[in-house]
Amino acid sequence: MKRRWWLTAVGIVLTAVMLFPIYWMINVSLTSASDMRKDPPNIIPINGTLHGYVQVLQHQLPFLGTSLLIGLGTVVVTLALAAPAAFSLAKLQPRGGKVLSFLLLIAQMIPAIIMAMGFYTIYVRLGLLDTVWGLIIADSTIAVPFGVLIFTAFMTGIPGELLQAARIDGASTWRTFRSVVLPVSRNSVVTVSLFAFLWAWSDFLFANTLDGGGKLKPITLGIYAYIGNNNQQWNAIMATAVVASVPAAILLILAQKYVAAGVTAGAVKD
Amino acid sequence: MITTSRKGRVVGAALVAAALVGGLVGCSSGTSTNDSGSGKAPSGTYKFWDPYPQYDASSAWAKLIKKCGTQAGVTVKRTGYDTSDLTNKALLAGQQGTSPDILLVDNPVVSTLASAGILTSTEENGLKTGKIAKNILGAGIVDGKTYGVPIGANTLALYYNPKILKAAGVDASSITDWNSLTAALKKVKAAGKKGITFAGINTEEGSFQFLPWFWGAGADLTKLDSSKADAALSLWADWIKKGYAPNSVIQDTQTTSWQEFQTGDFAFGENGTWQKAAAAKMGAKVMTIPAQNGGAAPVPTGGEFFTIPVQKDTARYKASEKIVTCLTSTDNIVDTDNTLNYISATQAGQQAQLASDPSLKTWVDAVKVAKARTGDNLGTKYPVISQQLWGAVQKAESGAASPAAALKAAQSAVKTKLNK
Amino acid sequence: MMTTSSATRSARHHRAGAASTAPAPGMPARSPRAARRRAHLTAWAFIAPVVIYLVLFYAYPLYKNIDLSIRHYTVRSFIDGTAPYVGFQNFVSVMSSSTFWPSIINTTIFVFVSIAFQFAIGLALAVFFYKHFPLSGVLRALFLVPWLLPLLVSASTWSWMLNSDSGIVNSFLEAFGIGQINWLTSPSWSLTAVLIANIWIGIPFNLVIMYSGLQGISADVHEAAAIDGANGWQRFWRVTFPLLRPVTAITLLLGFVYTLKVFDIIWIMTRGGPADSSTTLAIWAYQLGFGSLLPDFSSAAAVGNLLILIAVIFGLMYARMQRRLDLS
Repeated sequence: MKRRWWLTAVGIVLTAVMLFPIYWMINVSLTSASDMRKDPPNIIPINGTLHGYVQVLQHQLPFLGTSLLIGLGTVVVTLALAAPAAFSLAKLQPRGGKVLSFLLLIAQMIPAIIMAMGFYTIYVRLGLLDTVWGLIIADSTIAVPFGVLIFTAFMTGIPGELLQAARIDGASTWRTFRSVVLPVSRNSVVTVSLFAFLWAWSDFLFANTLDGGGKLKPITLGIYAYIGNNNQQWNAIMATAVVASVPAAILLILAQKYVAAGVTAGAVKD
Repeated sequence: MITTSRKGRVVGAALVAAALVGGLVGCSSGTSTNDSGSGKAPSGTYKFWDPYPQYDASSAWAKLIKKCGTQAGVTVKRTGYDTSDLTNKALLAGQQGTSPDILLVDNPVVSTLASAGILTSTEENGLKTGKIAKNILGAGIVDGKTYGVPIGANTLALYYNPKILKAAGVDASSITDWNSLTAALKKVKAAGKKGITFAGINTEEGSFQFLPWFWGAGADLTKLDSSKADAALSLWADWIKKGYAPNSVIQDTQTTSWQEFQTGDFAFGENGTWQKAAAAKMGAKVMTIPAQNGGAAPVPTGGEFFTIPVQKDTARYKASEKIVTCLTSTDNIVDTDNTLNYISATQAGQQAQLASDPSLKTWVDAVKVAKARTGDNLGTKYPVISQQLWGAVQKAESGAASPAAALKAAQSAVKTKLNK
Repeated sequence: MMTTSSATRSARHHRAGAASTAPAPGMPARSPRAARRRAHLTAWAFIAPVVIYLVLFYAYPLYKNIDLSIRHYTVRSFIDGTAPYVGFQNFVSVMSSSTFWPSIINTTIFVFVSIAFQFAIGLALAVFFYKHFPLSGVLRALFLVPWLLPLLVSASTWSWMLNSDSGIVNSFLEAFGIGQINWLTSPSWSLTAVLIANIWIGIPFNLVIMYSGLQGISADVHEAAAIDGANGWQRFWRVTFPLLRPVTAITLLLGFVYTLKVFDIIWIMTRGGPADSSTTLAIWAYQLGFGSLLPDFSSAAAVGNLLILIAVIFGLMYARMQRRLDLS
């Protein structure tokens, strides 16, 4: 039993080292402007100021809501696109399935700035600039290929007997997918949802390029309120980041129990 | 039944895909469109883009825009973007035909946007430029045509900490040229404090901060490898080598450099007009940047320009022009310039500012002798030169190359790129 | 993957080609060809949304980018669309630029060192947390927090920490007697600095994937090895690690693809400087397109396409290796 607590101690030290930059972020968020470049720096924010947080809580909270909306929307779109496609690739052997898998891999190789510029043109024609839906779709392009990959690997491992049993009972392919495959894939659904949500939550490039500057901004753009043309308020910027991290951190801690992608074939947990 | 439902599935999937795409169009939040005003009186929503995201809807700036819009009879939708993004956004919008009606951009960008063909000249939009100081207007002139009017000007000077200078036995008024400045830095370092901080980063800010020294040596932007340019760059490189300037200047922006100055450990900080309020709060004073052999070094003009991008419906220019004229009218512009901590670009505006705050004299004088970066007919050559210049400056600062070698490489790179 | 437990079922498998819908008992039997066609249609119906999605949102930007790179675009022709076709000229000029080889070398170092460390540390942590000691779940979740931060913030925080004069890392080093290291401002250290930050950001991803890979290995395997007398280290290298090969392969490949694209961290910390010492292909492309006051879209697109080409080559190598593994 003692050995186990020793492991916990090591774990805590490792976590502390890993999270030190996060602590530093909080430290900066509480530092007053004149101490920002102090040499040597203050390890604890002496003469700290809550000015940054005051500003964030006054202005940024609606943006958190938008970010949440975009995050959830991205999850829905990603699951809706990736899960059926992966099911098909894993179980239905479509012609050209291998090519599609390869294309999805290539799709992830395109640098984000190239995607963003392309989206701008498409969105202008579709009237999607500066809309929540536009950002949801853009952010989903980060998650969908990855989602297909995870789901395919997982669903390949679902034993054929399960599907045959459903088939014999008269279920159509769609019904099989909905009632048999999805419930069994619960863990990979949670994993893909988590990745999709986090990627959408922290996206900045797409939001910046495709934003027309309306009232609905995600939190990553809200940070820009503190990056003026000649002056930047670093304590407010870091405070925004801290506040933005809190909901996502809670989500992480709640979801970590379910995150088991079962990327190797044959890992059907229930 | 199975056949039908299977076919139905195929059709259904296709419908879902189509609906997904189609529904998106319907869900657009209805961004403003450019109404083609068939009637004579302008109406509708006008788009206004500026690089001041720090001002939200409740700020005095936003309210002023609203007021001028109402006076011109239209509604103005204003968006603040990060200044470094604004060029690309303007170009992308111009390509797609969704340019804003009024675009406020950093002055060295005006010539780039003008040569892209997305800005209207004063002939087309009717803006009056007679009262504007010529040296400040220079950045907006391309091939003899004027493409914008300045909101105001800011420029650089040398802030100093009188306490540190006193403790080191340096008389501020004795600093008149480079030698006296370097001697002062030596004394400050001997007294245990830090010498000077500036922004030497590899961006336009770095070029901006280097130009007073570059021009102060008599160097010319068309000849980056002259011995005068070498002298200027060697000045900075030597300061870093000798420890008079900290190593962090190599990545400092003007903001982070100012933060270093604000710690109270530095004797000198090169920075701009916009910090004058913060400087006063910490008890710092200001002097003009000395030229190599005495006198004030020519300094570059900062500050944004109002421009009116090209629109399909040329009837819109009338209202845009009214809004810009309203924003730059003497009363309004003095308020705005005071908020931004800029100096007004017109004689009348400068007088009004001096009347309410005589301490602005140093700055007003500095702005009077300032030069536009894209002036001297450099236009779109300036961005190419500037990029090589800041690269050379960083190379010399970090010791990756000697100043002479770095500048030589920069000049040949400029030649190659401009001849493409 | 297909079960062959029942003879009757295997006969139907043969006909339909996969676990696709076969007529339920009591329904009239269809001809094999029609059933196969229906099966393919159904399979394609499930994929159709993703295919449309790919064409619309990936193929189009890629096409635009290729177009940008084979024409000579100035800011004016970007607006009015009259750029002349110049073939591979942009690629030639980009490859003969003095920044080309430094950026290739930097990209290679950056990618391989990043992946090596991210993977090794992620795997080690996964194995560590798999021991299920008290609090391991919470700590493992906390390890993922760096992932939540927008890259602007992570990169800025690291810039702050690695500042030559006012950074906490140098203060720490100086307390141990090591002199000041100019992390971000010296050409010899800038690449190391961005590597450290990038490795830090990549650890959570590797940790999650490798951990779930470990969960996929049945406990029986571990027990059997233990019974056979293997100690912990041997068990890991001889039993666990080989079983993790598919997960490892995909993690390394994805790591490669993602790291090749890394942009924000380097841009915010050093902007590729000083003197191109931390310029990778992704940074160079952005520098050309958006890093100066006068965008050079054609060259930026050319560099971008080179980057995609390199990634595709590695993707093909991975596919070839995968096929060989499947056949063996």
